[in-house]
Amino acid sequence: MEPAPTPPPSPALPNALAHLPIPFQAVDYAAKGYHLDATVNPDQVVDVVSLLDKEGLALDTITGVDWMAQGQMEVVYDFFHLSKALRVVVRTRVPRDNPEVPTIQKVFPGANWHERETHDFFGIRFLGHPNLTPFLLPEDATFHPLRKDFVS
Amino acid sequence: MITKEVISPPGAPNETFVINLGPQHPATHGVLRVKIVMDGEYVVRAEPICGYIHRMQEKMGENRTYAQFLPNTSRIDYLSAMTYTHGFVGAVERAAKLQVPPRAEYIRVITSEMNRISSHLVWWGAFLLDLGGFTPLLYAFDDREKILDLLEAITGSRLTYSYYRIGGLYNDVDDDFIKGTREFIAQMRPRLKMYRSLVTDNIILRKRLIEIGPISKEMCRKYGATGPVIRGSGIPYDVRKVEPYSAYPEFDFLVPTCEEGDSMARYLVRMEEMVQSLRIIEQALDKLPSGPVMAEKVPRVLKLPAGDYCYAVEAARGRFAVRIVSDNKEIPYRVKLRTPSLSNLSLFEEASAGMLLPDALALMGSLDLVIPDIDR
Amino acid sequence: MEAPPDNAQLLSDCSPYVKFAKLDEMLALGRANSLWPLTFGLACCAIEMMAAGASRFDLSRFGAEVFRPSPRQADLMIVAGTINKKMATAVKTLYDQMPEPKWVIAMGNCAISGGPFVFPGQYAVVEGVEKLFPVDVFIPGCPPRPEALIEGLLKLEEKLTGKRRWPVVKSE
Ligand code: SF4
Repeated sequence: MEPAPTPPPSPALPNALAHLPIPFQAVDYAAKGYHLDATVNPDQVVDVVSLLDKEGLALDTITGVDWMAQGQMEVVYDFFHLSKALRVVVRTRVPRDNPEVPTIQKVFPGANWHERETHDFFGIRFLGHPNLTPFLLPEDATFHPLRKDFVS
Repeated sequence: MITKEVISPPGAPNETFVINLGPQHPATHGVLRVKIVMDGEYVVRAEPICGYIHRMQEKMGENRTYAQFLPNTSRIDYLSAMTYTHGFVGAVERAAKLQVPPRAEYIRVITSEMNRISSHLVWWGAFLLDLGGFTPLLYAFDDREKILDLLEAITGSRLTYSYYRIGGLYNDVDDDFIKGTREFIAQMRPRLKMYRSLVTDNIILRKRLIEIGPISKEMCRKYGATGPVIRGSGIPYDVRKVEPYSAYPEFDFLVPTCEEGDSMARYLVRMEEMVQSLRIIEQALDKLPSGPVMAEKVPRVLKLPAGDYCYAVEAARGRFAVRIVSDNKEIPYRVKLRTPSLSNLSLFEEASAGMLLPDALALMGSLDLVIPDIDR
Repeated sequence: MEAPPDNAQLLSDCSPYVKFAKLDEMLALGRANSLWPLTFGLACCAIEMMAAGASRFDLSRFGAEVFRPSPRQADLMIVAGTINKKMATAVKTLYDQMPEPKWVIAMGNCAISGGPFVFPGQYAVVEGVEKLFPVDVFIPGCPPRPEALIEGLLKLEEKLTGKRRWPVVKSE
């Protein structure tokens, strides 16, 4: 199974956040529904997110994707701008057998619930999260239903 | 305004106790549970506990085709089913590069806005019920039934419409619908004026809402709150304006905002939104183009090219966004539903600290929660 | 004690004014005409339950509009919506807290069988409220219309009294 191929960098598309030291690629909004896309290492996530926070972006959501064939988990952070059309996607990949990412809960307190939900569904551990207990699943749940190898 | 200092005056015994609101409680509008640490009458910490109506929507997205998943989308936020279906079909259409005919886009706008009015009416009735007034609910449902009659005639359903299809609409509207909608607009405008004098200007309501539960601009941003919550805090964020979709750029409407950020501000924003929705519907009816309502050549078996696709709409509660990750099969690899109620509720813990319990419930009502929208 | 000789005469004289019945029947009639449902909405179907209680459909025509927020005051539970495994224990507790006699209406496909949320390998929903406690009336639909809920209430009345109070609407 192939991962989502990142679109080739296109100089014609504007990068509204070109001044930030983040490897953004501009994406065709009409085709994809977002403007900028960056893949970073797990340990860079907090720094990148802090930069976006200073730009005045708001946290849209956090989610995971289980790329089982490659033995990886992808964590996707979505951001939106409050006054202009600017949607930013930040991705990071972690090994599937030890999925750990630092929490961004200190930067965006709203991330708390999104990270708990992602932990519920995929078992991705957000290091430093104050309360990584089941959120949507029952209190004693130990399973992660959105993993591709999940059987109930 | 009651501040945190009041909670523990110097010398007072520092005793707290826990009360459990829900999962079955009339004020939580469904099955939300809130664990509240109280100091006397004051809330020290209110922690919402979710998941009591988790219905595996995202898992279901991964084991059925795009067309089969479509009915699910009207059951996430059932009060605003049209907009949710719109978000999903929009994402699929974007990925499949389908061109939706203009008539279909106009009818989508009309029905979405009608749905928004009916959703706000339910909120209005239920919110005032929380605050102790029963009568407005009867008015609200009276008006709402008129909308449901119109929508039922074209969609066949009262609540869970699934009216939008990938590439267009299930069927076209007829002249009765257009005539009936115009009549509805004419009836609704004086009703909204009446609600203003009947309820909005009521001194008891004002005393219960003004300066209760202020939410700052910064808090909205940090928690990703959208919809009437963020607009009630003075930020004119509306997906229909910021990331225009469908036929919305062609209409003239305002994004109502209030600077105060208290519960009254959110109340006023929603009341004004109904007026603006009526304006949009009227313009759309005037300009309704003719033509088909379904795109040509929508493949029966839809395979989206590999990649991920997003689509955001302004639902009645705020920004609803769908992310579809496709691996070029008939069924999606991953469907992520970003729902507004979850983000709107996540700020409750911070916003409610130090409030009186009844005020905290007024704040919760003013967030307009739909619990299956949080839990999915 | 022996009945007075003119007892039969007395009975027939006052029969236009006084009705004699078994206490059970009287109680059943009273209960059937004043069902007190529990204010208990789970999901989408609860909105139709609200609509049934509100302006147009006006459940109070059938004496069932006294929605009680406390299970201890209610004798009818309308299960309107999906029950998932996290919620199931709470629903069961609510049912146990209701005083006898009590009845249950399963409104909507979710309450009947799990509805649209059942698929092989599902991990969250309870496939029908009957898995938790007995149900008296099932109302199919997703969601059922308010008329259907009213019909369900009439069916429950029929179950209690053995008689139908309102004529059945015949389709043409
Ligand atoms: S039966 Fe349908 S309408 Fe009722 S709760 Fe279930 S999904 Fe919602």
